[in-house]
Amino acid sequence: MKMMNLTVIALVAIALVLMTAGCTQPAQTTNSTVGILYSKGVGPMPMLLATHQIDGYIAWQPFVSIGSESLIGKVVAYSGQLPPDNSNVNHPCCILFARDDVLTQNPDLVTAVSALTQVSSRYINEHPAEAAELEADFLVGKGNFTYGNVTVSSVNVLNDAFPTVRYTNEPSPDWVNGTKRFVNTQIQLGYVTDKLKNATADQLDARLFAFGPYQNAKQQIASGAIKTPPKASKQITIGYLNGDMHSAALHIALKKWQYFNDTYGVALKPRDATQTRPEIADLIVNGVPVAEIKLVGGDAGPQVMQMAATDVVQMGYVGVPPTIAAIDKGIPVKIINPVNTEGSGLVVDANAPVSDWKSFIAWAQQRSLEGKPLKIAAPGKGSIQDVMLQYALKDSGITFKETS
Amino acid sequence: MNRIFLKLASVQRRSFLKILLPVAIIVAWEVLAIVLNNQFILPSLQSVFAVLLNPTADILGNGNLVDNAIISLERVIAGFLVAAVIAIPLGIWMGRSEIVHELFDSVMQLLRPIPPLAWVPLALAWFKIGLVSMVFIIGMGAFFPILLNTLDGVKGVKKTWIETAEILGAKEHQILSRVILPGAAPTIWTGLRVGFGIAWMCVVAAEMMPGTNSGLGYLIMSSYNWGQVPVIIAGMIVIGIIGVGFDYLFKMVDRRLFAWRELER
Amino acid sequence: MEGARAMTLNVDHLAKQFSKNGQETVESLIDINLEVKDEEFVCILGPSGCGKTTLLRIVAGLEHPTSGTVKIDTTLIDRPNQKLGMIFQDYSLYPWRTVNENIAFGLELHDVPKEKRDSIVKKYITLAGLSEFGNSYPHELSGGMRQRVAVVRALAVEPTVLLMDEPFGALDAQTRNMLQNELLDIWQKTKKTILFVTHSVDEAVFLADRIVVLTPRPGRVCEIIHIDQVRPRDRTSVEFAKVRRHVLDLINQKCSLQ
Repeated sequence: MKMMNLTVIALVAIALVLMTAGCTQPAQTTNSTVGILYSKGVGPMPMLLATHQIDGYIAWQPFVSIGSESLIGKVVAYSGQLPPDNSNVNHPCCILFARDDVLTQNPDLVTAVSALTQVSSRYINEHPAEAAELEADFLVGKGNFTYGNVTVSSVNVLNDAFPTVRYTNEPSPDWVNGTKRFVNTQIQLGYVTDKLKNATADQLDARLFAFGPYQNAKQQIASGAIKTPPKASKQITIGYLNGDMHSAALHIALKKWQYFNDTYGVALKPRDATQTRPEIADLIVNGVPVAEIKLVGGDAGPQVMQMAATDVVQMGYVGVPPTIAAIDKGIPVKIINPVNTEGSGLVVDANAPVSDWKSFIAWAQQRSLEGKPLKIAAPGKGSIQDVMLQYALKDSGITFKETS
Repeated sequence: MNRIFLKLASVQRRSFLKILLPVAIIVAWEVLAIVLNNQFILPSLQSVFAVLLNPTADILGNGNLVDNAIISLERVIAGFLVAAVIAIPLGIWMGRSEIVHELFDSVMQLLRPIPPLAWVPLALAWFKIGLVSMVFIIGMGAFFPILLNTLDGVKGVKKTWIETAEILGAKEHQILSRVILPGAAPTIWTGLRVGFGIAWMCVVAAEMMPGTNSGLGYLIMSSYNWGQVPVIIAGMIVIGIIGVGFDYLFKMVDRRLFAWRELER
Repeated sequence: MEGARAMTLNVDHLAKQFSKNGQETVESLIDINLEVKDEEFVCILGPSGCGKTTLLRIVAGLEHPTSGTVKIDTTLIDRPNQKLGMIFQDYSLYPWRTVNENIAFGLELHDVPKEKRDSIVKKYITLAGLSEFGNSYPHELSGGMRQRVAVVRALAVEPTVLLMDEPFGALDAQTRNMLQNELLDIWQKTKKTILFVTHSVDEAVFLADRIVVLTPRPGRVCEIIHIDQVRPRDRTSVEFAKVRRHVLDLINQKCSLQ
């Protein structure tokens, strides 16, 4: 009898242990993953997509339009539509920055450049078709792109792309907040770790922005007279991104310098009119050449910021996140004003079972389950496209890791 | 097939062999292009030839093949000459003086394996954007072959040649100009040939630097940026042809001036 | 070169040590004393490694003795001197220069004007018997021809003494014999003093007025033999064989002991 009791107790005890063990085991979680491939610049992306080495890419315009116009891919979402929902509408994109020493030594020069950017943006908004053509000329001499068996005219591509980019220069409170949200995002992603990480609100403003020249320029444009800056003591180099139409204001300014000179008294006149992408230009204010400007195209934002760090460029048109990361590292630059908002997009393979972000996420999960996680290309670590994609994926519960 | 081959004279045989492989490649290319039917993996021969046979047509606003080739050539020659002007005297100096050799040796060995592309960020920071930084990159490529071959050539000058000159009454500068230089010349020339080849390979690397707006390397990168593969391949072919051409020129001079080197052995 | 200036080449208590790996010292030559008179033909004879080439190079001024001196008359020889011409075993002709240009080399070094240069070159190329090969390159010539060029190249700057380091060592027996005869011919015509290093007993007996026999390393002067035979010497004669025997015996017995 005693033996039986003991056996029963033992069995019950074992059963209890087994049961609780089963209960305390953590539930199985399925982590869907997407691989992010950093291709240097956006150029190779259509090619990579067409040869199925990637499943999609996120890039700045006009590469989104190239993807769809050439029938290689289709647009999942433009950047303004990316989650977290509604937080990306009118999201900051590219800006004009200037080095601190230029701001101190010749603030009126920066004002003039900001003024030119503003009037050029206005022109783009008022003459989109002409702007598309001029931009196609700047980027590729209005040539044709041949992708496989499809040939697309660059003018058509630009016409498709322009409406998806908002050319605006006003650092509105919304925009400023959007920029600061980027700072937070980048802190979370580990891209911001130093000077901006623990800054107070005031410190953040002071470290990021210098809107003085913008405000002055705005006033001067309204009053119809741009102030002539003193002559620059040495050549000023302005950087921009190759193949990027977000800095169209700069490009159009170069192409239509005569118009801006006559209408507003501020112009960037190329020295060699035959160059498709002028390398040297004169900044002319009220008829006076005040600076020799060298124009340099970089492959990605971080690269341009590296050039800013070594004083190879003194001003530039790049994305907000690379600028934020640069300021965080202590590179002495400030954001002068925005040059555009939105203007990027996520493209996937033309045959993918995707029509919007939701179906894209479903596809990502499906492929993850199959053991073949999606590979999405992004231009350069820390670029705005990279940051936005990562944040959107995170918001949708997808993990990501860098892949090759 | 063999019989026909054997019937040809030796010269004809060699010419036949030389063009055999290129022709085979072209044929294989066409076949593969049709089979693969994917312009990105292998563009058709026609699309590449369309670019090659229109060397004066503008490519995506970057100028035409001919102009860009000339620009690249100018840069390469500039970088190459700068490298030669520094490397040859340094090599001679190192070859003649054991002290100087020891002094420079460890630094040289350290710098030698660094690929020219790795110098790009530094070149940009030191020399800013422009021809100087490009000449630096290209020059770095050409420098070590020229230096090391010069050193080798100088050290390889027979001791008895130098001693004969000393005995006949030569002063140091005469030994340098009438024994060392002519004696080392064939090896130095080889160094120049190899150095030029590497400098030419550096064209693409050098023209990848920001701020470059022209040249074959830039054309290739720009076409890469827009995914225009036929242009990339056409550019590569032009680079290859020019490289071969120069190598041939160097070899011809070698045959003409330095025949004695082989026969000395 | 006219006048009865009788030159003397003096080697006094010459010794040479080499340091091996910076520690051991190897003695190469010990206490060499030698007086070479004007227009003499002296052979230095010894086995391989006995230091005879080192001795010649020191006399030429190409190397320094550890102790002792080399003097021509009163001039100390401590660096190459034009009075001493040298012919190396590998001829050391400049392959990028023609025969004419090789012979002219020494003259060019001293800025001798072209016309004079050309006539001197012509004289010596004729002496060498190579007049038709003026524009040929060394690699187009046979070994014997190259050696002749080397000899007249050295002669063109009119040295007093000719130093020759086994110059015929790389040639076949027939060519060697021929060149030996030609050398004697040139010697008699130009009245040079010759110091000739060899390891061949036959060669030494055929050519020399005196033979300096060195011991194996470290090289000492073992014996100096006078050869009074009149030239041209007959290699097949009994006289010749006697001298040969004597020299061979010396080498194998007395001079092989330390």
